[in-house]
Amino acid sequence: MSQIFEYLIAAALVLGGIFGLVGSFGLVKLNDPMSRLHAPTKATTLGVGGVLIASMIHAIASEGHLSWHELLITLFLFLTAPITANFIAKAHIHRHETPQSLPPAGEDGLWATHDVPASPEAAPTAPLARD
Amino acid sequence: MSLFLIAALPFIGAVFPALLIRAGRNAASLSTGAVTLLALVGLLVHAPAVLRGEVVTSRFDWLPDLGLNANFQLDGLGLLFATLILGIGLLIITYARFYLSREDPMGQFYSYLLMFQGAMVGIVLSDNILLLLIFWELTSLSSFLLIGYWKHLPEGRQGARMALTVTGAGGLSMIAGMLILGHIAGSYDLSVILQHKELIQASPLYAPALILILLGCFTKSAQFPFHFWLPHAMAAPTPVSAYLHSATMVKAGLFLMARMWPVLSGTDLWFYIVGSIGLITMVLGAVIALFKDDLKALLAFSTVSHLGLITMLLGFGTEAAAVAAVFHIINHATFKAALFMNAGIVDHETHTRDIKLLGGLRHLMPVTFTLAGIAALSMAGIPPFNGFLSKEMMLEAAAHTDWAGVAWLVPALAVFGALFSVAYSLRYIAHVFLGKKRHDYPSHPHDPGPGLWLPPAVLVTLVVLIGLFPNAIATPLVTAAATAVTGHEVHFHPALWHGLTPALYMSIVAVLGGLLLLALHRGALAVWNNLPRPEAKVIFDALVRGLTQASRGITDGLHNGSLTRYAVIFLIFTMGLGWYAFSTGAFGPETHETLPITAMPLLGWFCLVGSSLCVVAFHHNRLLSLVLIGVTGLMVSLSFSYLSAPDLALTQISVEVVTIILLLLALNFLPQETPRESSPARRIRDIAISVTAGLGMGGLIYAMMTRDFAMPSISEYHLANSYKGGGGTNVVNVILVDFRGFDTFGEITVLGIAAIIIFAITEATLGSRVRARLLNRKPWKPLAGDAHPLMMVVATRMMMPIAFMVAAYIFFRGHNLPGGGFIAGLIAAIAVIMQYMASGFGWAAERQKLPYHGIIGTGVLVAAVTGMGAWFNGLPFLTSAFGYVHLPFLEEFELATAALFDLGVFLAVWGAVLLALQSLSRYAWQPGIASEHPMDINPERDDAEIEQEGH
Repeated sequence: MSQIFEYLIAAALVLGGIFGLVGSFGLVKLNDPMSRLHAPTKATTLGVGGVLIASMIHAIASEGHLSWHELLITLFLFLTAPITANFIAKAHIHRHETPQSLPPAGEDGLWATHDVPASPEAAPTAPLARD
Repeated sequence: MSLFLIAALPFIGAVFPALLIRAGRNAASLSTGAVTLLALVGLLVHAPAVLRGEVVTSRFDWLPDLGLNANFQLDGLGLLFATLILGIGLLIITYARFYLSREDPMGQFYSYLLMFQGAMVGIVLSDNILLLLIFWELTSLSSFLLIGYWKHLPEGRQGARMALTVTGAGGLSMIAGMLILGHIAGSYDLSVILQHKELIQASPLYAPALILILLGCFTKSAQFPFHFWLPHAMAAPTPVSAYLHSATMVKAGLFLMARMWPVLSGTDLWFYIVGSIGLITMVLGAVIALFKDDLKALLAFSTVSHLGLITMLLGFGTEAAAVAAVFHIINHATFKAALFMNAGIVDHETHTRDIKLLGGLRHLMPVTFTLAGIAALSMAGIPPFNGFLSKEMMLEAAAHTDWAGVAWLVPALAVFGALFSVAYSLRYIAHVFLGKKRHDYPSHPHDPGPGLWLPPAVLVTLVVLIGLFPNAIATPLVTAAATAVTGHEVHFHPALWHGLTPALYMSIVAVLGGLLLLALHRGALAVWNNLPRPEAKVIFDALVRGLTQASRGITDGLHNGSLTRYAVIFLIFTMGLGWYAFSTGAFGPETHETLPITAMPLLGWFCLVGSSLCVVAFHHNRLLSLVLIGVTGLMVSLSFSYLSAPDLALTQISVEVVTIILLLLALNFLPQETPRESSPARRIRDIAISVTAGLGMGGLIYAMMTRDFAMPSISEYHLANSYKGGGGTNVVNVILVDFRGFDTFGEITVLGIAAIIIFAITEATLGSRVRARLLNRKPWKPLAGDAHPLMMVVATRMMMPIAFMVAAYIFFRGHNLPGGGFIAGLIAAIAVIMQYMASGFGWAAERQKLPYHGIIGTGVLVAAVTGMGAWFNGLPFLTSAFGYVHLPFLEEFELATAALFDLGVFLAVWGAVLLALQSLSRYAWQPGIASEHPMDINPERDDAEIEQEGH
């Protein structure tokens, strides 16, 4: 393996490590849940991404072929991480926020999580009622 | 006709009435009659040969390893009984067509009747005692259905239960007796057993075998002290009583005693048990019968008495008595079936069976009266009817029997019984038909149509003909049957006039005494009513109640619903065994090096142990403990992966996902907190036990993994043969679908059954009052809006094809690389579950067109059919085959039947998981919960339009 690849891999790994560390540190350091939600995104995207890039370079350099697994992992991460964050945010809004404590939701009147259907019969299927 | 077919015809035919009842009652009864007639003709074709003394056999090795062969034989005894069963069956079928009312489900009746008939024919034709036992149990079951046919009557249900309990229990003891007998003789074939008289009677196991078999016979044939079930079984419709209790079911015990007569009889034990019980039953039945006012009860106890008579004759152990027994079996069947049908006619026409309300019917129902008169006189033993002939022979045999040195005892009691028999028979005529015509019958009686009186008339004709011309009609059959019973040639020449024998004097005494007793009936009844006597039903009910309570006590003591208790019993028992094995067994030296601990596994170990301990610490918060269990599961699958078990890791992770989702669903309906229930002392006890068990288990595993196994492991065989024999390099998968394919087949069947049971329980629960409670359920915390978020919905839609593709990929690579049907099934299930989670159960279920039951069934069927495919190659079930195929433009690839089998596994797992999930989801159903759109926010909506509507 040529020297340059080794440098590249090392750089990617260090980058990934730094972002992983920053993400974790942010998770501990930041005070309120909504801000905290931002920290792990660094770890999942750039942190894991750095490691994956290192792995791909390693595959090309030492085994001589392009490895697609890492791209798949990235795809799945990009798919799942936002949904997880979305759900955590929703849970937080549901349990700890009121419509008053949140910024206005614009034309819809209420944030979706607070828009509870009055009774099971008033189906959540109908387009959201306003006013 | 082959004997197989004769025995099978009624069973096959049982389908017809059940289906043809839609075409009307005539179609049902005609089809039933046709089946029976066909079997009867098939039987009678063999009659000439059998009467010549030949034995017809059909043999088929069914389960030779168990000694269970489907061997049938037809000898004289079998012919006699089979003719009675099918012949009287035919008459009963005709009679029942006109007897049952429009409200009675006639198709069911005929189906049950045919099943019963088949079971009876099976008993009398079996040449293998294990086969005989199967038919024996079938008669108990089918007679249960027949006796309880009028389900709406409590007496019917109770009578059916009692009959099943008594005859079923007897059947169980008979199984034991027959197994002992087969063990002594070294074969379960009757024809072999019958040749080993000396061997069997000399065996120390003779007494237990005899007693156990006799228990079966006595319960079936209603012998004292088991006679009580028969009168209670009279709650059945009359055709059933006439069939079961005159000619067939109760005669099964007699048949067996006659069948076993050559090997079991002749000893003192046989004489004193069978002879005495028969004698007691005969006398007791006759005495009780006289004092019964219910026509059918009278006939029932008279049946008990006559069965006792035949049992006694068989018990005497002499050839003459055996011949008399065989002859009386025919005679009793003819007059008793006729009398039962007659009682049915009286009941049908007058709407009562109470003798006290009847009398003088002779004027209104002359035909019925004639038939009843002849049959009852025959039952009383009055010449010139057939009952007289066999009763004379019985008295003759009794006169020569010496009971424990007391010469007069048996003859005296026999006369006593016969006296009562005359009295109740004549009472049937005198108190029902004779006397003055009354005006207070519950109905307006008149003779019925020929459909009801012709069947008993046929039997009554036989009663007369056998009585007048016994040699011409009965001799060939009786000779053949008695020859089969005794095992050597007998000569049978009955005659109405024997000369002035002791039997004749005894008979005269009985008739005169009986007339006198009938004249004094009122006084005798008063005496009888004042006698203290045990009520059999009360004793039986108390016994059953006691047994039920005892078994409930034991069951509740062991299974009180406390999982802790089960775990404690199980752990302590296992630890005890382990300790015993450890302290008595040898302990080899350590031979394996332990691997060095590195940072990663150590970290994993901490996560695993930490999450497990956290589950213990936080188990009161159920949601939290579920999350922690999830962590444990992931760590376990990571360890599998680290320890080079990718198959296990894949299985573990998919099982983990599905389980957690199912548990989450279930948690929806459970309290969120586990209450504290155990006292500190109990908690310390539980901790001590579980820590000991855990450490013991860990220690055991450590000891095993650091040593060579004491015996060679089977893994080497699997590793060596996986590719050679199974065509796959993934040993785990080859074990599942090939080496242990039959296990897997059983497992997917069980899995499917479990899922269907979950479905059934859900169905039953939602059909009950629980449904209202579920509908009125208040959420334990306020609900959140946006139950089906857009991002989640879109992502799961995207993931679904990917997940299915992964499932397909895992499935196809399974034979050679980690994967297989099981894991693929779970992944496919997760692909669907994701849709449920995102868009709600109702929305997703509407778009899921395949019924999950069908998927499970298809899976099991595919697996079964694949397994059966091996038969066409002449190989055992589930032998797999594989080959390599080369198609142009493709690489060479392998085709294995194991993959088809795996497809069955895949489908069964997929269907089972989803059916379980679907069932659990249905509990949460509320009106309007099913969304119309995949997500709560309809992206197609037009904001401007809504705005306008709002204002």
